[in-house]
Amino acid sequence: MPSDNPRVFASGLRMRFRRWLARRIPPSRKVTLDQRRIFIFPSRPGFFFCLLLLLILLTAINYQNNMAYAVAFLLATLFVVATLHTYANLAGLTLQALTATPVFPGQRSEFRLRLQRGGQAPHYALRLAWPQGSDGLLSLADRDSCEVALFVPVGGRGWHDPGRLLVESYYPLGLFRCWTWVDLDMPALVYPQPLASADLPGISSELPQGSSVEIAGSDDFHGFRAYRAGDSLRQVHWKGMAKGHALQSKMYGSYSSHSAWLDWEAFPGVPSEQRLSHLCHWALVLEQRGEEYGLRLPGLELAPSVGDTHQSKVLAALALFGFAGVDP
Amino acid sequence: MKWPFAAGLPSAGLPSAGALIPRNALVWIVISQFALLAPHLLRLPLWLVLVYLATAVWRLMVFQGRASFPGRRVRGVLALAGFGAIYLSYGNLLGLEPTVALLLIAFAFKLLELVKPKDAYVLLFLGYFICVIGFLFSQDLLLVFYSLLTLVLVTTGLVALHRPHEDHFRMSSLRQPAVMLAQAFPLMLVLFFLFPRIGPLWTVPVKSHAAKTGVSDFMKPGDISSLSQSAEVAFRVQFEGEIPPKSELYWRGLVFSVLDDGAWRSLRYGELPGLELRPAPVEPTGDLLAYTVLMLPTQQNWLYSLRYARAQQAGILSTADYRLYSTIEIEEQLQYSVRSWPTTLLESELSSWRRATELALPTAGNMATRELALRIRATAADEADFVDAVLRYFRQEPFVYTLQPPLLDSVNPMDQFLFESRRGFCEHYAYAFVLMMRAGGVPARVVAGYQGGEINPVNRTVIVHQFDAHAWAEVWLPNRGWVRVDPTAAVSPDRIELGLEQAVAGEGSFLANSPLSPLRYRGVNWVNMLRLRYDALTYQWQSWVVGFNGEEQYRLLQNLFGSVRAPLFAAVVLTSGVLVLAPVAWLLLRRRRARRLPPEQAVYLQFCAQMASRGIVRAPGEAPDKFCHRIDKELPTLSAWAQQFTRDFMQLMYSGDSLKPQSRQQLLAQLQLQLRRGPREAH
Repeated sequence: MPSDNPRVFASGLRMRFRRWLARRIPPSRKVTLDQRRIFIFPSRPGFFFCLLLLLILLTAINYQNNMAYAVAFLLATLFVVATLHTYANLAGLTLQALTATPVFPGQRSEFRLRLQRGGQAPHYALRLAWPQGSDGLLSLADRDSCEVALFVPVGGRGWHDPGRLLVESYYPLGLFRCWTWVDLDMPALVYPQPLASADLPGISSELPQGSSVEIAGSDDFHGFRAYRAGDSLRQVHWKGMAKGHALQSKMYGSYSSHSAWLDWEAFPGVPSEQRLSHLCHWALVLEQRGEEYGLRLPGLELAPSVGDTHQSKVLAALALFGFAGVDP
Repeated sequence: MKWPFAAGLPSAGLPSAGALIPRNALVWIVISQFALLAPHLLRLPLWLVLVYLATAVWRLMVFQGRASFPGRRVRGVLALAGFGAIYLSYGNLLGLEPTVALLLIAFAFKLLELVKPKDAYVLLFLGYFICVIGFLFSQDLLLVFYSLLTLVLVTTGLVALHRPHEDHFRMSSLRQPAVMLAQAFPLMLVLFFLFPRIGPLWTVPVKSHAAKTGVSDFMKPGDISSLSQSAEVAFRVQFEGEIPPKSELYWRGLVFSVLDDGAWRSLRYGELPGLELRPAPVEPTGDLLAYTVLMLPTQQNWLYSLRYARAQQAGILSTADYRLYSTIEIEEQLQYSVRSWPTTLLESELSSWRRATELALPTAGNMATRELALRIRATAADEADFVDAVLRYFRQEPFVYTLQPPLLDSVNPMDQFLFESRRGFCEHYAYAFVLMMRAGGVPARVVAGYQGGEINPVNRTVIVHQFDAHAWAEVWLPNRGWVRVDPTAAVSPDRIELGLEQAVAGEGSFLANSPLSPLRYRGVNWVNMLRLRYDALTYQWQSWVVGFNGEEQYRLLQNLFGSVRAPLFAAVVLTSGVLVLAPVAWLLLRRRRARRLPPEQAVYLQFCAQMASRGIVRAPGEAPDKFCHRIDKELPTLSAWAQQFTRDFMQLMYSGDSLKPQSRQQLLAQLQLQLRRGPREAH
């Protein structure tokens, strides 16, 4: 519906465009670019090139010069041929979402993608950019695929959708811009903002922050066990590995002795976002000390443990708390 | 996961989107600039060439980090200085040459601003235009080939600009633009022949500084002999029938009726009385010669034709002295068809004004010559006898035909020539002869043009060179009208029968100033053949391509399609566009389609698709046995079928060479069969 207010009208158009785009290029973690997904339009230099063509044609007409005609037509046809070449530079390219690194608010999440070409033909000067994120220029000239990392600043706690990724190219002549907006369905997880608080019941804060890094010496070592996915890298018995043994993790006796609960109910009267921030803070502190900790949220309980996998689970639970229908 | 305190790493791995010009592109831009400048070198003042070299060196020093870009103020001063220098060099800024010089100096200075891709676009687009400007000066076949090369070079600059990862010069950059231009070529030809040719939309700057070439509109002794040093082609002629003998090929261009200040000149338009402006009606008689003349630009108006010529073409007039005359100066090559009747009687009655004009002599000068004429006239029975007697005089006295005549004094040149030096070129003989005719009371005038020409056996054209320039005489005899008389033929019959080269063979002066002209090596057979073949090609080129105009286009299209209608053009352009571009698109996209999967993988993906339709989606990277295990748990009814399929598939995939090709085929067929039958649910 056209509106009297041009700004409202414009934003309405944008909405319609987004909805149309969502139908045309639905979110997918792997997208191969084809004629349904690629847009092409003359670039700024392309329009100037058209002016140049007109100028040459006028020269040809006014001087009745057949070779000037020939150049005008050759360049005009070159312009048409350039559409095919520019289109072909994006066609057949496959983009695949790899990972989106979870981050804390205010940081930039790293989005890793893989680019794969369809055949042996080279693709040049592909520009990838997320709105508000970093952009990059790369070519697939002598390799079939490559991995790309792009960084996008994130917003608040929860899933951060970076929006649609712009893939564009001006190759070979710069007269056309060929582009697409793909939704790679790769949201990044944003943890709550850590916020220090008074001591929690059952957790001592005696260890001043910063001196707690030396975990290995602070507790009693009591043996090895086979490495399990999720074990902290600090636990890995690197010396043994260097000697050629299988990967092992060092076990410390103190893990079973301390076991703290990070409890939602421990902060009576504190607003819920702030509670999550405190819990997040303590999860980081305890993980750094190498002490076991569990998490209790309304409707969710994670048994005490320690290690990267556990920390990820805890932080993810905190990040997604309160968002209906989202699974950590 | 990333440790929070280590976050905020710089974005690694990818360079930011192109802010600078890749080095490879920079080198190609400079190369294309030099290539574009080369054809203009001889037209430009030397200082402009030096300015260009200086800017190129400057830019390369910036490239090496030994200099920096000039500041805004320096650039402004440079631009103003360039503008002023061009004004000083040319005297104005309006002609074509100063315009080109301005373009080229802008082209040179832009190099000093070449920082961002935007600047490169400006420079390269300007390059395309400069390539076109070159054609306004010449559309020679060699220049066209060369310009095609420069177009490839400029396009290479554009392509290299979009290959940001090529940081050093490479020749292979030429490939892509060459391929693209080759793909564009066929459609260009279609457009070239179909695009409607319309007249100029407005007047444009002309070549004000181009030298006038060919025979000029006045003649002093020594003028034509200097022209005879040039091996340039003046025009080419294609006869419809047999080529007449060389001794009959007198190409009339100018008629000099007035002797003024020791030089012959034509009558000016203002000097003609009203009745003499147009030619008297003539009834053509005798044999007809039909031919087409393809004339190269002369910057003059007169056209060349054989005696009593008519041309029916817009812009060509006939003059009262039976010549053809173009209404505009010939700045581009001009092709015109002529019909000539060489034996037609011209002007059986001479008007009194005409008689007085063609008899007029200055009051003084060359008195000895006039006396000699009167003495000979007294012995002759009639006018025709007088003509013969004067010719006999030239033949019998020891006159020498030479390209290197001595300088004559300006007061009585003919007295000096006839009685002292006796060495002269055609203009000396024509001058002396007409002077004597008029002194003896016979109306006469000097005619200038070309005589003879070289017959190219390859395509039967007559090539008329500048060294064929000639001057002869026309006398008016009662009952016979204007009659051509060539006094040079009396002195040197070889000049007319064999041409200038043979006539001056003894003195080695033929083309003495053009040591590299291929015409000098006519004795070497293959060189000569090559030269003639190239000339035939040039004729085809100039008459069919350069000379292609609205009329030719109409004729061509009429022949091809039977009718000339705009919708037909559009249909032809569209059809040929599709016909040309479809294969290009196919070629381009063929190499980009996803590669086909090996059959065993395709089969497994089909299996996964069938499972997905039943709600079990295989995770990316999930191993077939793990997936099968999950099916086992989530859809036990399909377990047996899935296990069978997975087992066969694993055998096919991982048994390697131990499996015979035959059993491999069997296994594959079995898998495909299982898929076709669909999942069997165990009950």
